[in-house]
Amino acid sequence: MSNTGDDDGRKTPVKDFHSMAKVSVGQILGLVEAVDEVGGLADAATISREVEMDVDRLGPILTAAEFLGLVTIEDGDIRITELSRKLLTANVRERKRIVREIIDDMPAFRLVMEMARSSGAPLGRQQVVQALADRVGSHQAEDVFNALVYWGRYAELVRYDSGSEQLTVRIAQT
Amino acid sequence: MEPSLLEVKDVLKSYFENGKEFKVLDLIRFELAERDFVCVVGPSGCGKSTLLRIIVGLEPPTSGQVLFEGSPIRADNPQVAMVFQSFALFPWLTVTQNVELGLEAQGIPPEGRHARARKFIDAVGLTGFENAFPRELSGGMKQRVGLARALAIEPLLLCMDEPFSSLDPLTAQNLRDEILQLWANPDLPPKAVLMVTHSIEEAVYLADRVIVLSSRPGRMVAELEIDLPRPRNRKEPEFYGWVDEIYSLIV
Amino acid sequence: MRGLRGRLRILASIAILVAIAVAVFYPQAAWNAIQLPLFAVFSTTRMVFAYLLSLVFAITYGATAATNKRAAVIMLPILDVLQSVPILGFFPAALVFFVVTFQGSPVGIELAVIFLIFTSMAWNMAFGVYESLTTIPVDLEAAAASFGLRGMLRFRLLALPAAIPKLVYNSILSWSNGWFFLVASETFTAFGGTYTRPGLGSFITNAGLAGDATGIALGIGVLAAVVLALDTIVWRPLGVWSERFRMETTGHEVPRVPSPYERFRWLPRFPRLRRTFWASAQPVVTRYRRASVRLDRTYSAHPKVLRDIRFLDLAMFAVILLLVVVAGVFGLARLFLSPLPPAAAELPRAAASSFVRLALAYAIALAWTIPLAAWIGRSPRGSRYLTPVLEVAASLPATALLPIIVGFAILVTASLGPAAEVSAVLIALFSMQWYLLFNLIAGVRAIPDDLNEAARSFGLRGRAYWRRVLLPGMVPSLLTGSITAWGAGWNALIVSEYIPFLNPPPHVSGLGYLLDIATFNKPLPDNEMILLTILTMIVIVLAMNKLLWRPLYKRASVKYRVEV
Ligand SMILES: Nc1ncnc2c1ncn2[C@@H]1O[C@H](COP(=O)(O)OP(=O)(O)O)[C@@H](O)[C@H]1O
Ligand SMILES: [Mg+2]
Repeated sequence: MSNTGDDDGRKTPVKDFHSMAKVSVGQILGLVEAVDEVGGLADAATISREVEMDVDRLGPILTAAEFLGLVTIEDGDIRITELSRKLLTANVRERKRIVREIIDDMPAFRLVMEMARSSGAPLGRQQVVQALADRVGSHQAEDVFNALVYWGRYAELVRYDSGSEQLTVRIAQT
Repeated sequence: MEPSLLEVKDVLKSYFENGKEFKVLDLIRFELAERDFVCVVGPSGCGKSTLLRIIVGLEPPTSGQVLFEGSPIRADNPQVAMVFQSFALFPWLTVTQNVELGLEAQGIPPEGRHARARKFIDAVGLTGFENAFPRELSGGMKQRVGLARALAIEPLLLCMDEPFSSLDPLTAQNLRDEILQLWANPDLPPKAVLMVTHSIEEAVYLADRVIVLSSRPGRMVAELEIDLPRPRNRKEPEFYGWVDEIYSLIV
Repeated sequence: MRGLRGRLRILASIAILVAIAVAVFYPQAAWNAIQLPLFAVFSTTRMVFAYLLSLVFAITYGATAATNKRAAVIMLPILDVLQSVPILGFFPAALVFFVVTFQGSPVGIELAVIFLIFTSMAWNMAFGVYESLTTIPVDLEAAAASFGLRGMLRFRLLALPAAIPKLVYNSILSWSNGWFFLVASETFTAFGGTYTRPGLGSFITNAGLAGDATGIALGIGVLAAVVLALDTIVWRPLGVWSERFRMETTGHEVPRVPSPYERFRWLPRFPRLRRTFWASAQPVVTRYRRASVRLDRTYSAHPKVLRDIRFLDLAMFAVILLLVVVAGVFGLARLFLSPLPPAAAELPRAAASSFVRLALAYAIALAWTIPLAAWIGRSPRGSRYLTPVLEVAASLPATALLPIIVGFAILVTASLGPAAEVSAVLIALFSMQWYLLFNLIAGVRAIPDDLNEAARSFGLRGRAYWRRVLLPGMVPSLLTGSITAWGAGWNALIVSEYIPFLNPPPHVSGLGYLLDIATFNKPLPDNEMILLTILTMIVIVLAMNKLLWRPLYKRASVKYRVEV
């Protein structure tokens, strides 16, 4: 997993989560399917041509897929992982479970779980964004928060009510 | 031979402007039976959307007839549901409320509605997004809501108008596969699917049968059984054979 | 947040200054002040009634015009005329009707006041509903139809939500219009007597009449406080809330729609109380929903009855319309067949001087609003500090400033004739300028940053920058603002050209003056002259709209539209 340098190593992973902010579940699954279809290994240019998306749009999706451990990227070659193969044969519900297992111990989620546990009440949006801003800077905090809500909802880890802007952590399913 | 679910009989559609006739569809004729997955392909502007609107009863044909289970179609027929290219979600309703739309119109009491909505929200993988508003969703998620909303009324026939055209290629491919997964589950509605698209590859990838329309006015050029085994691989020569054949029919 | 704090701070300072001044210099005026909250309640109640009336009207009228193409053919032009005509011109006629019908009882006068406010609110709201309903995306309509949404259900889930953004936006405009008319109508002199309904407007007018400076200041202060308070706790949050009902554009950014009361997060929110309230309200809501669905199904089971009701509805509308048209034609025919009254000879001159007066006010307004808007629109600091001040100033209806303006004019000119002239122009100015200013600021803000940066990188500065970037960018909003401003100006004429409360009443020649004396100056209103004057005004306003503003607007929207 690539780690762009940051002066505080402990806090870096939360920042990495930022790569998932502008990427949807469908895009990542679509990418994995596309690589699988050409044999599980392809260079970025081939995939870009194959799915008719330029590298500009594909880049964030590749980064996020790598971040989730679904592909490895070496010298511009994209290779799908064992985890991806599991994902490909899974049905809709199993896919959610697999993604949940990948992301539920990511620092961004652990942070929210921690906050929820210690406050014992739903978390306000502002409160979470503030906590994130302390780690990733206010510039990216909103993005990370949106990613947290989107992926957290998909993985059924969090509930979010955009009307009252309150985030609840769902009971951990093990 | 199974009984026909849908019969499109010599449908013709013209628009009139300043007394001049613009023919959009010319003598469209086909049938749909249970377990049919049919795609209508044709170039943009050939009248595919118009055809679908006529088939679901939103618009009358100029001449000809659409029969559903033997009787003329009505727009609010709960046996037929529609998925739109632009998703057509109500921005002020949550995912659950959008999915419950048709059920509410049928007067199903809240408890029954919620249960049914939950079932189909789960089926399309939207659990967790129940109280999200459409603007909070990615394109693929939005179309899943559209799909769940259509499935929730447990229709016999599902009509889809270019459901993947507003999505980026990756999301679209992922959603296509998930729709095939749903279709492969005989416990879930619908009994038949009629989809309209301008993408030949998409039609060959999804359909058991492809109906090819010419450009304006839309005329039936061919009706082809795609006998490729599933899951289909878009890289295989047989697949490309079909795509090329349909391509040559249109141009 | 800052805007809110700024406004609150200004409000508080005004209140404190006024209170100190009152307590120190005029202890007796404190007595007056005690009545003011009650008067504020009276005035606000009138506004609320008129607004609810407008809301019902707007929704039914707009929805009918949107769903019935044949009815729309007549309904839209009617709305168009009503919207662009100086409504205050009808007040005398309405007043006569209500006062006579209720034989001068307070109920009649209250109704007349509410009716007048209604006429200043209803039309643009109805247009808003009509426009929203006719621009619902085709696919959304199709989805509603194919999933079987009908009747009340369709209205609740599709039509009403779709109309909300425009309805709220236009309501805000209507509401501030309403204050202007409220103040103008709470006191009036007619048929040899003065009718007064207790309220902020009449309080200010009476204070002006008595030359009571503190009274004027107090009245205006309280009015400003009420207007701003309602704006802050009702209209702004409503505006934010209405964002939820906007159709999505294809932009990829996820717009966050904040809670409407986000700016009030620091207030106590009584969660228990709210939960209890909702828990008790829920059964009622549920029952209402079920009943409406049941009603729908009963209805749709009888499509023929439904069609008959609609037909009857339409027939009734047609009959009423026919009656109105016949009566109108009859009246006009009688008017023009009989010899014109001698006063009619004054009409052309009066029209000309009214027009010149408005043109002068318009020119003055342009002269200061354009540079100020250019500055505020581009300077965040200017906007932060000046916008709250300007909003407070703009919140005051020009009619409320009447006593101050007249007093000022008399002070400056020291004689009644010129004073009347000056005050008439000033009142017109105060009614027109804010529409220009706020539209222009919005126009300047709408100039894309890219364009500004490109201009800077090409070295466009000073006059060239104004000529090539700023002014062209302002043109569309200038035109929008001008149309509204002139509409307001014509209404202002009616209160500004003749001030019946002073003795002798100062006046200047003009259409407003002619209308006022025809209505109020005789024991019986002079119907012929009222009709002729209103007709003249309508003709001028419609001619300006059709021949000047619309063509300009059309050209501007092609030429100056900034592609995004
Ligand atoms: N209401 C209408 N009035 C006139 N022409 C129409 C109308 N609706 C569609 N058309 C025309 O019919 C043709 C087919 O439209 P459509 O069914 O949307 O095509 P497609 O979905 O295949 O792209 C288009 O050329 C369009 O201009
Ligand atoms: Mg189409």
